[in-house]
Amino acid sequence: MIFKIVSVDSLIIYFGNSIDEKISQNVKKAYFCIKNLTLEGIIEIIPSYTSIFISYDIFKYDYESLKSLLEKNINLDLDLILDEKIITIDVYYGKEVGFDLEKISLEKNLSIENIISLHSNKIYDVYAIGFLPAFAYLGKVDEKIAVPRVSTPRKIVPKGSVAIADFQTAIYPQQSPGGWNIIGKTAFEPFDKKLENLSVLNIGNKVKFNPISKEQFLKQGGIL
Amino acid sequence: MSFEIINSPILATIQDKGRFGFSFLGVSNSGCSDEFAYFWANKLLKNSLDTNILEISFSNFIIEANKDTQLSITGADCEFFINEQSKEIWQSYNIKKGDIIKIGKILSGNLVYLAVLGGFDIKKEFGSNSTTIKEKLGGLDGDKLKKGDILPYKNRVCNYTMRLKKEFIPNYEENLTLRVVFSYQEEYFSKEEKNKFLNSSYFVTNEFNKMAYKLKGTPIKCQIDGIISEAIAFGSVQIPKDGQPIVLLKQRQTIGGYPKIGVVLNIDCFKLSQARTNTKIRFKEISYEEALDKSKSFSKSFFESSADLKNS
Repeated sequence: MIFKIVSVDSLIIYFGNSIDEKISQNVKKAYFCIKNLTLEGIIEIIPSYTSIFISYDIFKYDYESLKSLLEKNINLDLDLILDEKIITIDVYYGKEVGFDLEKISLEKNLSIENIISLHSNKIYDVYAIGFLPAFAYLGKVDEKIAVPRVSTPRKIVPKGSVAIADFQTAIYPQQSPGGWNIIGKTAFEPFDKKLENLSVLNIGNKVKFNPISKEQFLKQGGIL
Repeated sequence: MSFEIINSPILATIQDKGRFGFSFLGVSNSGCSDEFAYFWANKLLKNSLDTNILEISFSNFIIEANKDTQLSITGADCEFFINEQSKEIWQSYNIKKGDIIKIGKILSGNLVYLAVLGGFDIKKEFGSNSTTIKEKLGGLDGDKLKKGDILPYKNRVCNYTMRLKKEFIPNYEENLTLRVVFSYQEEYFSKEEKNKFLNSSYFVTNEFNKMAYKLKGTPIKCQIDGIISEAIAFGSVQIPKDGQPIVLLKQRQTIGGYPKIGVVLNIDCFKLSQARTNTKIRFKEISYEEALDKSKSFSKSFFESSADLKNS
């Protein structure tokens, strides 16, 4: 664990420097240790692939006091009991919603069927949530379909778009500008105000995509 | 007991101190961009300092009161009228039923704040009234205010009005020096690049909003292209590939992948949010300890009174 000052009221802890399951496990362990402390004066705890960011009340802590408190209480030797349930998400992988399918097919010399099966045959971990409410960063996609972000980000990516950026894949929980490659669309709602933690997908969960037909997608309330 | 929006404002939203505790789900902190003006608007009404308020970004904003109340206006220097009578800002005013309140031209700065006694009586969403249009959260239906919108307030009275002493009123036309704590990826910026960053002038481009301010000037080179996405603090200075700094503000995305040289002191971010295109920006290094001290003094200053009382 490497602690660093970020600003007057925040610090960051690094657990490594690559997108890696072991590092991600340590992030999750530390994240749950910190959350379980239920410290007063902690404002945000934001885990990501390799780091945890914490912002705090400057009238309760400073960098040194919070760092030493956390160092004492973060135990990476713990067995992590995670809610590793697999959430299956139906996706319609059609060209009219998967705007970048053809481009990926040409670039990677793969048939569209191949892209769909490579994307939907893997079980993904939720590495981080951010960018938009309930936008879950899932990884890692098969190397054969890992494509860099599009050169000019789209001004509008429709809600429910399923997308790839490098080794990451995700669902856009709402309409937004975005630079990821869009391969399909889902009627699944990742953001649910009725849920206590608002996001259907949480750190620790696993995700599997299930290809469905256009008819099924429309029946589920999907919009082309 | 409410205000009705009379015209179609270009951009006015309801804000408060912000939405905290949901960043781990990607929900932006949002909140008032200029906390100095926001706190004072509330303080002039003896509201609690986290009371919701209107943040008005463009000229020509008109509302009508349908019940007596008191309001205060702070922030950007602007034309301000009650029933077509010109008034000074950084003061509180008694308002009578039927009064028309108008914010005319914004003369310097960007953001005008309008607070009402006791705040607007609307439901919080995830602990806050702050509007984030992109997330459709807060305010009235997560959107900017529109003609015909009703802003309810509670029936309260106050017998005196207050104004901020002249010497405390900020001048939003000055060139800005932003104090920066070097942090995050600072080791990927050579000493020469850091010096360049501290010794160059930057200018505010026309790309600025509640999310971020894009600056232009001497490009800064980072030894790495990008990082594995991580959380972004208020005031973070991202250095993208083109080397032009981007300062991230209240409505920033929660995580991102550009290298960050450090973080602008919160108090200075409030001033930056009032800076217009072509404002000259200089960066100055500040130690963590000094930054902490300044930030604490800023917060403490709002617990002490610096306002003049006037009998209404």
